[in-house]
Order: sequence, then C-alpha cells, then structure tokens
Amino acid sequence: MKGSRQPKDKKTRSHDPSRRSFLKGVGIAGAGAAVVDKLWIEAKENEQQTKSSRALSGTVPIVLQINGEKRPVQVEPRTTLLDTLRDRLEPPVTGPKLVCDMGTCGACTVLLDGKPVYSCLVLAVDAVGQSITTVEGLGSPEKLNAVQSAFVEKDALMCGFCTPGFVTTISAYLKKNSNPTLAEVREACKGNFCRCGTYPRVFEAALAAAKNAVNG
Amino acid sequence: MQQPQATPKKKKKIKVPKVVNGIETMVEIEVDDDAGPGWGPNDKHALLNHRLTRVDGPLKVSGAAGYTYDVRLPNMLYGRILRCPHAHARLTKFNSSAASKIVGVKAIIQTPLKEFRFAGAPVAAVAATTPDIAQDAARAIIVEYEVLPHVVRADDAIRSDAPNVVEGESNLQQKDKRGDVQKVAAALNSSDAIVEAEYRTPRIHHTCLETHGMVVDYSGGDSATVYASTQGTFSIPADAAEELGLPQSAVTATVQHMGGGFGSKFGIGIEGMLACKLSRQTKAPVKLMLSRYDEFVMAGNRSGSWQKLKAGVKNDGTLVGMQAMQYRLGGLGGGSQAGQPYVYRAGEFYREVYALHTNEDSSIAMRAPGHPQASFAMESLVDELAYKIGMDPVAFRKKNLRDEAYHRQLDRGAREIGWDKRNPTPGGNSGPFKRGTGCAVGTWGGGGNAQCKVEVRVARDGSVVVAVGTQDLGTGTRTFTRAIVAEELGLQIKDVVEQIGNSKLGAANDSGGSTTAASLSPSVKDAAIKARLAIAEKISPLVGNAKPEEILFADSTVTAGGKSLSWKQVCAALLPAGVSAHGEWRADLQGRGVHGVCFAEVEVDVETGKVRPIKMVQVQDGGLPLNRLTMESQINGGMIQSLGMAFWEARVVDAKLGLQLNPGFGDYKLPGSLEMPELVPIIDDEDKREVVIGIAEACIIPALGALANAVFNACGVRVRELPITPDKILMGPNGRKAA
Repeated sequence: MKGSRQPKDKKTRSHDPSRRSFLKGVGIAGAGAAVVDKLWIEAKENEQQTKSSRALSGTVPIVLQINGEKRPVQVEPRTTLLDTLRDRLEPPVTGPKLVCDMGTCGACTVLLDGKPVYSCLVLAVDAVGQSITTVEGLGSPEKLNAVQSAFVEKDALMCGFCTPGFVTTISAYLKKNSNPTLAEVREACKGNFCRCGTYPRVFEAALAAAKNAVNG
Repeated sequence: MQQPQATPKKKKKIKVPKVVNGIETMVEIEVDDDAGPGWGPNDKHALLNHRLTRVDGPLKVSGAAGYTYDVRLPNMLYGRILRCPHAHARLTKFNSSAASKIVGVKAIIQTPLKEFRFAGAPVAAVAATTPDIAQDAARAIIVEYEVLPHVVRADDAIRSDAPNVVEGESNLQQKDKRGDVQKVAAALNSSDAIVEAEYRTPRIHHTCLETHGMVVDYSGGDSATVYASTQGTFSIPADAAEELGLPQSAVTATVQHMGGGFGSKFGIGIEGMLACKLSRQTKAPVKLMLSRYDEFVMAGNRSGSWQKLKAGVKNDGTLVGMQAMQYRLGGLGGGSQAGQPYVYRAGEFYREVYALHTNEDSSIAMRAPGHPQASFAMESLVDELAYKIGMDPVAFRKKNLRDEAYHRQLDRGAREIGWDKRNPTPGGNSGPFKRGTGCAVGTWGGGGNAQCKVEVRVARDGSVVVAVGTQDLGTGTRTFTRAIVAEELGLQIKDVVEQIGNSKLGAANDSGGSTTAASLSPSVKDAAIKARLAIAEKISPLVGNAKPEEILFADSTVTAGGKSLSWKQVCAALLPAGVSAHGEWRADLQGRGVHGVCFAEVEVDVETGKVRPIKMVQVQDGGLPLNRLTMESQINGGMIQSLGMAFWEARVVDAKLGLQLNPGFGDYKLPGSLEMPELVPIIDDEDKREVVIGIAEACIIPALGALANAVFNACGVRVRELPITPDKILMGPNGRKAA
C-alpha cells in the first residue's frame, strides 16, 4: 500500500483517492478485483438512480488553488479533478494525463497539499481548499526543477506521456526522503506505469536528482 | 519553349523495405549511383554517436509538450463510441431519441455495420459538449441485438464444428507452405535426437498510454486541421478529407508529440472516421480519443501464435531437419508470424503457416510484427535440443547460426551475464530460490526508403531550421534530425530548430518497421550537405576563393586558406533570403539488417512458482548509432516490453461470453517499477558499417526466448506457453504436478 496516496486525515475527507484501499477494505485482491469493481459500480449506479428523482446533471461553481493561482471553474459534482484540469479550466492544465481512468497508472498524478494523488480518483469538489500542484507547477521548460533536469539528463523519458506523473511522484517523494536508496525509489514509483520502458533511467534520474539536491 | 533536359544520371537497383500498415516487405527501386560525401567513420563524429539529451526533453518533463489528447479548441465537442457487447450479433433495434434529448448532445451517428463480429465493434458515436455528457448519451442509446454463435479460442476455432467467423469461409486459411516434407522425414530419421513440442503466445496489447484518436478542427469552412495521435503524419489527410468532404489539399494533419504507437497508429482508423463524420455533421471541432476500454477492445493487438515444431539434431549440435505448423491468431485479421526456422540453419525444413480466425478484433502491427512469437518458439526449441544432447546452449547456437555478428555478440553477452558461472544443470541449484540463465538471438531489417524530402534553411542572422513532415514517437527523431544538421554545419544542437509533424512540410514516410531513421537521416544529411556547399560557395571570396567543398565548418567557425570566420559573420554575408537547401534520400547513407542477442538471469521460487527477473543484457548492432543515449533507451524499452510478454501480459477472453475479461490496467498487468531487473543495454560497436539502420523492432525480439530459457535453466520446468505464470511452473517439468 502506497502510504503517500492516502489522504492525510480521513475524517475530513469524504473521498479516499485510493482504489487500493477500497479493495483492501472489502478484502479482495487480484483477479477478483475486476468483478468486484464492476459490481460495485453497478450497485452504486442503481442506488443513485433509485434514490434520486432529480436530474443527475448540472454544474456548480468552485474555486481551485492550482499552482499558486486561484482558478474559478464550473464543475459537475461527478467531475474529477483530472477532467477539471484538462477539460473545464480555461486555459486548461494538461500536464497531468488521462491514461487508465481508474487509478492504476499514475499518469494523472498531482500533489494535494504536497502529497501525490491520482487526480482521476479525486472529485474536483473534494479538492476545494487544498493546494493543487501539477507538473507545470514544479518547473517550466526554461527553469526545470532538479528532478526534471535529471530526467532530461538521464533520458528518463521516451514518448513522454507517463513522464509528468513520474516527475510529480518523485519530486514529492524526494521532499520526504532526500537521500533514497534504489529500492526506495522503486517503491516510491510503483504506482506509475511506463509503456516505452524508461524505468531504469527513471530510477537513475531520481537518484541523481537527490544527489544534486544534496550537493547543490 | 523546350524544358531543359537533365543529364541522365547513372542508376543502380537496390532492394528496400516497403511498409504497409507496419508490415515490411522488400521492393526493388532504382536510385542515383553518384554517392556524395558519406557519414565517415563511426568514431569520428562531433555530435552523432554521442550521448545527446533529447531536444524535446524539457517540454516533456514539465507538461509543456502538447499531445493530441491535450488539444482543446473553442466550441469543441467530445466524441464517444458505443460498442457491441457481443462477440457476434446482428443489430435488430437502434433508438437514439432519448439520448439525443440530453442537454449538450449535438450529434449521434450510427456506423454502417449491421452485423458485429467481435465484442467491442463500434455501433454508434456521439458528440456532446463534455466527455461525461457524451458518455451519458452513449449509455442512453437503446440497442437490441440478435446474438449469433461465436468462437474466440484457437482450440475451438480449429474444430470442424466451430461456427464460421466469416460466413461460408473456413476459420483456417493457409498462408504459406514451403519445403519438402519427405526430405525432412528422412533428415529426422538420420538425426541423433529429436524434440517435438507446441509453443503458444497469447494476444497482447500495445497499451499506448495516449489512446488512439484525433481532434478534427473543422467548423464548416473550406479547410480543416486534424490533430492526430499517429505514427504517420501523411497517413491522415487523404482519409480525413474524404470523410469531411474536402479536397485532400485542404486538410492539414499535425502531430507534435505522441504518446506511444508501437505499430498501432497508422491512418485515421474507425475512431478518426467517426470524429470526422461528427465534425462534418455538427460543423464544430470534435475531439474523439478512445477510452482505455475502447483501446483494449478495438485498437488492435499483437497476434497470438500456436506453433507445433519438430526438429532433429546430430550429437555434434548440427540441426538436420525441422518441420513447423504455424498458426497465426489474429482474430478477424490474418495475424503475423515470421516463418520458421527463423534465423537458424535447420538443414531440411518444411513449414505450413495458417491464419486461424476467431471472433475478436483484428490484430495489427506491433513492434516487430510476428518476430517475438517466432523467436520465442524457435529459441525454446533450440534450447531444448541443446539440453537434450548435453551441449552448451551458446555453443549450440553458434553451431547453427551462420552470421558472424551473432557469434561475437553471444560472446559479449555471455561475458556480461556471467554465463560461465551458471549451473548448467536445470534446477541444479539448491534451496527453493533457484537462479538460471538463458539466451536468444533476433534480427530485423531496419532499412529505409525514398520518401523523405527535407529542407534546411539558414537565415542571415545565423538561425537554422530543418523542416520535414515526419513524426517523433518518442524515439528521438527530433534530436537526431537537429544533430545531423548541426554537425554538418559545424554548430551545436541548440543552434538548429527542427520543424516536424505537419503534412504541409516536406514528405516523410510512416514510422513503421523501424524505417524512420534510415529513411529520414539520409535526406536530412543530403539537405545539410547542400546547405553547407551553398553557403561555402557564397562566402568563398571571403576565404581566399577556396573551393566550396574544401571549406571547413566546425566549432561554429568556417575556415579555409588560413582564414576563419565566425558563423554569424558567414551568415551575414548571405543574400537577404538566406540559403534554402532541399535534401533527398540517398541509398548509400543507410543500410539494413541488424543483429541482437539477449541474455537473461532469473530467480524462480519453486515453492510459489514466482519468477524474479534479476538481470538482462542485450547486445545490439545498428550501423552508425545516431544517438547513443536514445539508442540505449530503445534497447531498454525492447527488453522491458519483452519482460511483460514473458511473465504478465495476455488478453484473457471468456470462451462462453466471447468477452475480454481484462480490458483495463487493473487486470492487464504491465511491467512495473518493482519488477525491473538490472538492465544492461550494449551497443555493438564492432559493427563498423557507416550507415544508418533502424533498431527499434530488433530490440524486442530476443528477450522472450532468453527469459523462458533462463526459467528452464533455473528450475527445470520448460514453459512453452506465454506468459510464464506461477501456475505453469508449479505444474512441473512434465506439465503436470507430480502426484
């Protein structure tokens, strides 16, 4: 279980952005998980439809704190933070990517009050009042942070679609642990998938960034 | 007035690969025989064959790189596809009136299909103001089907009583038959040992992280721009124009960055066709990116394989005869599978190759189509034979591989993995955690073809642009394109800007079959040489009237006759329009035919069947490495994708329902950070060919065999069906756990 993906205070949070904690909660893992997921989703849908006689659509205005800026936006209660960033904000924030849409791949990772979460599993309305940092907030092409520079230097990217997620996860992790071992780096990014096969160089980049930060 | 006639140039005929939908075939073409300056020795480059960080790196690590999926236009609608939930069904009712009443729904169109032959076939598409509303509308469409008989498993499809996937046609279609079965029988009779075995590989998915799709920027005017996640910028405009009812010249395709293709992204696809239709109907821009579920059920896959092989060997290790029954499992498509005995000399051989159809979406090209499947089976068989006659597997391979390149690579890889230290007895190590080592080889073409037209422009202020419509899939095309020009003009990478990914720029080939580097780089080099000579001619009077070809461009300085000018001074002497040079492909600057070997070490827990990959080494040649850093990344990528195929990845289909059971990242297991072994990518610098050859496909071929053979060496269990999951290991050496 990835501790950093847990909300910092369960009591104040209506939604736990961890699919795994749900699975753990019902005591099922592995192949059975898919079936449970589907049953769960269906049950939720049925429940919602029978309970509510009102239309399920409609938007509400909220203000999100994104990369240090206040960003007003209209969302549906069901709109995820990821979809809000990409499809509703004007101009959009497209660093975080939509890839699996089910909290497995990490391409949509953003920081909520400094902690990495899958933004496809966070409702936009739940992110109100928290500081949201995306990969764009960590550094720009002209002024990269240590992790971003190391990714370029070590060629820790190919197609680049998973890269914002890895960069965000590792940037947050190095704040927690500034001098990690290889094993700790592997553990830190186990919630991020890459298809091109950049893992070894992602590890190298993370270790190099930590070293540079310590020496610099 | 008579057109001036060019002096006829001396021509020569050469064979080049032609790629159709990612599948490579060889064609003969005629090219000029007047080779210009070559690349020069591989170890004498200023930039090429060095470790160049990719030029789009800063954009990609900061979220600033714009992918098709990131495009958002004013008034843009979002498309969603409704899919058939049955493996075989006929449409009996379609009612979209409720769906069309949902606020925000702008268009609903039906596909022309009335009979669906795989679960996931597109039935209809919706355009709406948000992705969620589009999804709501797709759900609200009422569809009824008459469910028809289906077959989704190869073992079922081959039976004579199986439902026909295509009416009136046998599910089994012969594709190739070669060799003399009698001669093989005689050879097998004369052999000292025979192995007969069946090997299977499942269908696996590309799982491009950026799904297939496009954004059609059309608002009813007389032109359109199509943003496409594609491996072929020029594979888009014609079909998009047809769907939009526009002339092809009015449609521009663009792809600046793309999130993975691996062979699956050529042409506009069904999703692109639907996006164009929706845009045409609504006169509004439409973005239609497949959902992850869509991507699994209809964006293509690597065909599965089922191979029945039998081979005989002499006690000295010489293969004397082999026969093969090869089934390509491509669903509705024909699938692909390299013919056996793959790269080996097998003496007499006989093979029959069939496509075995099922009610599944068609397989499409995937990185080295058909090769990993064939390589896994052949390399396993070779290994089995070597163990059977008690011969070292490396020595056995050398005995039966003609090409010297494999011999040196096998030696290199063996040193790197510590082959001599392994226990040659399968399962011979004590304790429950048993280590083992295996190896395998692979080959690919990687040659180019004459399509790329490149322009290099040098302005009076010294700025340099290299422009061509090609695309960078994450392979590093942008970087080597810049580097070639920078090196030719004696500049640094940062002094050159590349413009790519746009069909209004110079022609380029699709990136399939590892043909991009060998097709593009000669044209870039040619344009850069011509730009250099044009500049040299212009400034010759400033450097003592030196001959243009004798003027040296290096270190941002131009030198001749004892005089030096800075690059700025040189460019200031150009005409106001600067210099523009056009490059064409030169056959002599590229080559074909690469070799690679992979060695793998694994640890098998024989009590749980769990395999832990420890180390993988791949030695890969490729002529002139344009960029060592990105080439190593490609080799890593090949090893890692093979690792997925070897141990985790498989499309799981329910025979009764005809549905894929794992169409998502929660259940389709990709290689992750915790499973990574130590990876050692080695560029084989003993390859002295001064030509560019593509290597991307080659890197994914040999690792499957190496890993499977390592598992056998570790625990003595020969798993002949991928993926190598714990259950198969626990079944034991004879495929059945001892009672």
